[in-house]
Amino acid sequence: MLEYIQSGQITLSQDFHTMKATYHDPCNYGRKSEKAFGYGYYEEGRIITKECCADFQDMEPNREFNYCCGAGGGAWALPYNAERIFYGRVKARQIEDTGAELVIAPCHNCRDQLMKSLNKEFDLGIEVKYLWELVADSLVVPGQEVEADKETAE
Amino acid sequence: MMYEFKASDLAEEIGVRRNTIRDWIRTGTIPAKEGPGKRYMMDVAEYIKLCDKFGRVPKVDVNMAIEVEEIKSLAEMENGNHAIDLNNRKTDSLYTDPSWADACLTCGTCASACPIAGVDDLDPRKIVRMAMFGLEDELVDSTWPWKCTMCAKCENACPMNIEIVALMRKLRSKRERDKVPGPIHKGVATCLERGNNLGIPKDDFLFLLEDLAEEMQEEGCPGFTVPVDKKGARLLVTINSKEPFAEPDDMKFWWKIFHTAKEDWTVASENWEGVNWGLFSGDDKSQKIIVGRIVDNIEKLGCEALLLPE
Ligand code: SF4
Ligand code: SF4
Repeated sequence: MLEYIQSGQITLSQDFHTMKATYHDPCNYGRKSEKAFGYGYYEEGRIITKECCADFQDMEPNREFNYCCGAGGGAWALPYNAERIFYGRVKARQIEDTGAELVIAPCHNCRDQLMKSLNKEFDLGIEVKYLWELVADSLVVPGQEVEADKETAE
Repeated sequence: MMYEFKASDLAEEIGVRRNTIRDWIRTGTIPAKEGPGKRYMMDVAEYIKLCDKFGRVPKVDVNMAIEVEEIKSLAEMENGNHAIDLNNRKTDSLYTDPSWADACLTCGTCASACPIAGVDDLDPRKIVRMAMFGLEDELVDSTWPWKCTMCAKCENACPMNIEIVALMRKLRSKRERDKVPGPIHKGVATCLERGNNLGIPKDDFLFLLEDLAEEMQEEGCPGFTVPVDKKGARLLVTINSKEPFAEPDDMKFWWKIFHTAKEDWTVASENWEGVNWGLFSGDDKSQKIIVGRIVDNIEKLGCEALLLPE
């Protein structure tokens, strides 16, 4: 997975998302990418999020030490729901501690777990957006480009 | 044998102040040395001498010598009672590199880091140890490798860099395919057969793309179309099949960005699936085939970059 930022083609505005926001580090982009490809993508997603959200608060711990959302490794599709939700308690607490109302998830799996499960199970009262959803909702035409490309090689 | 104590305990026993004990140790009056956790250790014989000197009753029994006969009978008992004969187990089918288990210190750091340790006795340290002892069948039959999210929190914390995640995935891959829990193996099979995990037919897919493109035009992206199989496009976009299946509007987020950024992109009409469940089900062979198809598409269409859904 490779994520890069170029400047020039799109402009983002912070006016659309004024609430406090935080960013979830997916295990696959971070720790596991670091292991498999020698580089963990921690900053790219944050830079983009901050472009769209002025009020940004990181979770503790974050980046390399972040906790998994609980749905990784295919667990979203696996039948062990109680385990998956129990697992997510750590994540839910992390989110609560930031006081954020908007959580940015750069991964399908994490977003589903955060939005459709943890939000409900732990009464978080949060909004969850994909990273690219956030960008699409913050677009100002035209201007500076933020583009996320991802590449994996197995 | 060593007697282990805290300065405060010994002080109370002997009836002196704590600092006095420390002084004595420092000056050699008490032949003790420092141990872990603010504890000290001294030879039991020395301890007993010390107690004698101060007229106290030692806390430990001098006659703690172990009866040889007793040991023998214990050993015999065990001989008849081997729950599992570890000597006859082979580990080389599970892993060949010592970094997968043998180098483990049994420190338990991994278990402390794991958010799901303790649930149904799942414990990464235990799993590593079991692998080392060759308890392969027990591990493969257990639900642990599937409840673990392969998040690598444990591995990240492990002082010995034990390959815990690789081990978990190997255990998943050793499950018989029809016993893989949930729909993920079915998804892999469907993908191999029909090009995407949910078996969405090509016509339906293309029709949906056109439909959505029209909506986009009405929603402020004049002239928007989804470029299908466009040769020479810079970016090949793959798709998570759950979106065309259940959340088609979510595809528009990326499209809106492409449109605004004037990206030169394309979607393949076949084998557009971007989610590879072979990774999760532990199915290397299928995983490779599915990746290979994406590579084929890149080559066929001459794309420079690839976008995967997650
Ligand atoms: S953290 Fe590493 S060394 Fe320690 S018990 Fe776990 S696998 Fe073994
Ligand atoms: S990879 Fe599995 S065992 Fe390790 S911390 Fe994550 S869930 Fe626990």
